[in-house]
Parts: sequence; structure tokens; C-alpha cells
Amino acid sequence: MKGEGKSKVFTKKTVKRNLQAYSFLVPNLILFLGCSIYPVLWTIKYVFYQYGGYGTGEPRFVGLDNLARVFRDEVYWESVIHTFTYGFGKVIIIIPLAFFLAFLLNAQKKGNGLAQSIVFLPTIMSSAVMGLVFYLLFNAYNGEVNKYLMELGIIDQPINWLGKDNAMKTLIITAVWGGVGNYMVYFIAGIQQVSEDAIESARIDGANKLQTIWYIIVPMLGPILKIILMLAITSAFHDITNIMVLTEGGPNNATMVMSLYGYRFFFPISAGESVVPQYGYGAAVSVVSACITGVVTVIYLKLSKKLDDIY
Amino acid sequence: MSSTPMIQANKKHMSRNQLISFVAKWIFLGIMIVFTLYPVVYTILGSFKTNAELTQGGGFFPEQWHFENYYRAFVEADFLQYTWNSIIVSVSVTVLAVVTCSLAGFILARRDFAGKKLWMTLYLSMMFVSLGSVTLYPIYEVLRELGLHESVVGLVIALTGGQATNVFLVMGFTKALPKELDEAGIIDGCSLYQVYYKIVLPLTKPILAVVALFSFRNAWNDYVTGLVMTITAPELKTLTVAVVQLKYSVNAAAEWHIMLAGASIAIIPILIVYAFAHKQFIAGLTAGAVKG
Repeated sequence: MKGEGKSKVFTKKTVKRNLQAYSFLVPNLILFLGCSIYPVLWTIKYVFYQYGGYGTGEPRFVGLDNLARVFRDEVYWESVIHTFTYGFGKVIIIIPLAFFLAFLLNAQKKGNGLAQSIVFLPTIMSSAVMGLVFYLLFNAYNGEVNKYLMELGIIDQPINWLGKDNAMKTLIITAVWGGVGNYMVYFIAGIQQVSEDAIESARIDGANKLQTIWYIIVPMLGPILKIILMLAITSAFHDITNIMVLTEGGPNNATMVMSLYGYRFFFPISAGESVVPQYGYGAAVSVVSACITGVVTVIYLKLSKKLDDIY
Repeated sequence: MSSTPMIQANKKHMSRNQLISFVAKWIFLGIMIVFTLYPVVYTILGSFKTNAELTQGGGFFPEQWHFENYYRAFVEADFLQYTWNSIIVSVSVTVLAVVTCSLAGFILARRDFAGKKLWMTLYLSMMFVSLGSVTLYPIYEVLRELGLHESVVGLVIALTGGQATNVFLVMGFTKALPKELDEAGIIDGCSLYQVYYKIVLPLTKPILAVVALFSFRNAWNDYVTGLVMTITAPELKTLTVAVVQLKYSVNAAAEWHIMLAGASIAIIPILIVYAFAHKQFIAGLTAGAVKG
């Protein structure tokens, strides 16, 4: 059995062993090939084709035309900028907030567990359904947010939360609502890996809480912070459901992000919209978007390595 | 750690600074808790209000509890059907994910076989390559070729997806189990199937629970996949899809209360699951993600 790796001969025994192994793997493999590998290959292929979908005639090979169009498409590059605005806006609020919450709640004290469970709650809820609820809450004329702000005297005029100027901010607020619990839990896991001894000895040396955070916990969290930040950035780049429901990329493309822009060449964003599908172009948009996310990840990893060297 | 008697005793006589930081901590947390819970409470309380109360500024609690909003959602807006669809679909996705990932994770952890390296590389790369929701179109095309695109089966397959991350999760967990257990089983005359079923499967229950919990949550909460897969088969719509589509109904402006009743129907089951399994959700997240 052990020398099997060397022998390329298909003896009865190795064939049986392999068949046996594949009988375990195949159920998942079918799903994996059908729902992961094939769709990616399909999308890459159609980058080079013009295709209007089932029943609209054969796909036509157009070479690099779709890609060239992506690079000329101003609305697309605006959506790239919006993706960065959204991603960085979300990360810049969510990471410090999550860290702070983790710092407050990581000790096993009365009340902390319950507070953790509450802050984590939004992450188990449907971002689509909550997107609809936020759509009502942030409604300019009848929404509760404006109602409370006016009752408290903070504003005189209702704010048009979903209008062109504010839609992105509103989107980021709701994304923070939905995501902060997630990152808090990552940070708690990280803080619990920082040894109690280090924190304890800092305290004995007379460090106050802020000093303990800054000089002990943050540096020791370094490696894990790097992973958390990367997760936060890439996942923000992939957010689509909340945007689709709350703002639909509007008004006037003000919150159109890469993922939604590609989607819209395949399927309608809202029920009222009718779309003439352009699968080839949509595929090109999606592949370029995936590459942008990839480049951002690589740059991020390089930068964080440099920071490591400085330390 | 902090439960030594001395520190406990100190707590009873907090110094002024400690008291201030304690109060500041809970004021901040109080704000966070209100921020977090408000939309949820608004949804559930709002589902009992009239549309006028919601849109023209009523109180925090409903003036009268209008249970008929739920009757209208369930019966007139067909939510009974959509709830049933959501239950069937989410349970099926959970079962399919757990069974396939358990089998694949076991064999990848325990056996060398022809092609293993290739599959491992592909699984790993698919955890990082993401083209987003556009890949639903080729999946839809495949399902149409198989005649499954307008059936529950097709929807379940599309929602289950490739499961690369979960396979790796189960594989990692299985690898940490001592191999001697399998070997002892084989010496006792167990076949590979018996080793899996009688020895490894019971021991991997904790990680399978994580896979189950998160698969169920994802399937129940999904919107985009359900939306795309049911465009031509509206009778298969899941709850989330049906709720969001109320936004586009003709008299949406007059039906906030029905929207909130629908939203409540969609979130209450998962809230109940969370009430019982919040610890598992939180622990499961770290089991899955912070592995380095």
C-alpha cells in the first residue's frame, strides 16, 4: 500500500483504491465543477465573444473588443471609484470600531457575552431584507431616521438620505451595521491569542489601558490584523446584495459599484428594469473587476510586508 | 483570570477612575446596542402597525396590534408558499452541503489518490477567485440543459454551490484527528466506508455543525441566487426574494406595514435559531476564518 506513489502501473488494487476514494469525492466534485469551475471558465471564454443569450443566435467571436470597451467605458471606471469609496469608507469605520468593541468585550465578564451576541446579531440576518427595512428607515419624507433627528432638533429640514449626495454615506452606515459584529469576533479571537502574561506584566509596570492597547495588544495583533484587514477590503469589494436592494446603484449611478455594474449586463437589478443582456461585455467587466480586486490584494500584501520590515 | 478574590474585592470598591471608565464603557456600548437593535425592533413592531402610523409618524409601539397584517402577508401576498419554499430550500441546501463536504473532507484528509493534488489546487484557487454573481448565468444555463432550471432541485444546487471553503474546513478538522483511530478500525476489519461512518463521522460532528449552521443561514438569507433562478419560475420564489419584490409592487407606498410583516416573517425564524445557537455562530465564525 505504501509504495503506491511510485508505481504508475494500474494494478487492480490501485484502481480499486482510487475508485473507492472517488466515491467519496464525486458528490462534491460534481457541485464544484458545475458551480465553481465551469462558470469561471465560461465567463473567461465569453470575454472574447458577443452573445445575447439563449435564442438570440450563436455567440460571435470579437477578440479583444469587449476588453477595449471596458477600458473606454466611463461609467464603469466611475463604478470602480465608487467601489473604492465604499470599500475604504466601510473599512475605515468598521475596523477601529470592531477593534474597540473587541477590546471592551473580550474579557469574560457579566454582560459582555450578551453585548457580543447583540452586536453580532446583524451578521446572521439577510442583508436583502434589512436593505428593504433601511430603505424605509432612511426614506426622506416618511422615514424614522429623519423623524427622530428632527424631533431631537439636530436638523430642521429632512435629509434626503438616498439622494445623490448622501446615498453612499447611507450605504456605508448600513454596511457598518451589518458587518461590525463579524470583525469584532475576529478581533476577540485575536486578542485572546495575545498572552495574558504580556498584558498583565504591562499593567504591573504601570501601563494604563490606552498604553496597553497601543504598545502591547496592537503590535502583538499585527499578523492577525493583517488578515482581518484583507478580509474586510476584499469582502467590501464583493458586496452586492445590500447595494442592490437599498439604492440599486442609483440615484444616477451614484452608488454603482463594480460588482453590480457587471451584474446588470446579465440580469435586471430591479423588477421594473428591462435589460438587453450583453453576456460577453458583462463577462469582460467582471473579469477586469476581479483583476482589480486581485491587484489591490497584492499591493496590500506588499505594503503590509514593508510595514513588517520596519517593525 | 480576573476571578481571583483580590480583584473581586477591588471591584466592590471601584475607584473614581474605574467608575468613570465603567460608565463610559456602558454608555458607548448602550449606543452600539441601540444602533444594532433598532432596525430589528422597528421591523417587528412596525409589522403590527397601520401604514399611516408608519408613514405619518406614530409612536414607538403600535397603537393597536394589527395581527391581520400577517394574515394579509401570508394569504394575500402568498407568503405561505414562499415560507414553505424557503424552508424546503434551506433544509435541502444544509443537508446537501453537510453530506458532500463531510465525504470530500474525509477522503482528502485521509487518502492519497490519483488526481488529489489537482483537485486540492483547484479547490484552493476557487477560494480566492471570485467573479461575483455573473457566474449565476452559466450555472443557470447548465441547469437548463439538464431541465432543472425551473425546479426546486436546480435552485438547491445553485445555492449549495462548489463548497470549496467548507470542504477545506472539514478536511482541516479531520486531519487534526489521530490517524491511529482509523488504523485501529482497519485492523478490526472495518472497510473504508465503515471507518468513515463509524469512526470519523461522529468525531467531526462539531465542524459539521458549523457547516450546517452557516449553510442554513446563507441559504435562508440569500437574495441574488434566488432572484436569478426564479425569474422564470415565480412559484419557486424564496421569502427574501418575495419580501424585496414588495418594494416594486404597484402600491408599495401604501404597504409599508405589509413589507414589514413580510420582513418579519423572513427574519424571525433566523432570530429564533440565533437565540438558541448564538454561541455556536460566534465560535463557528472563528473556527472557519481565523486559521492564518
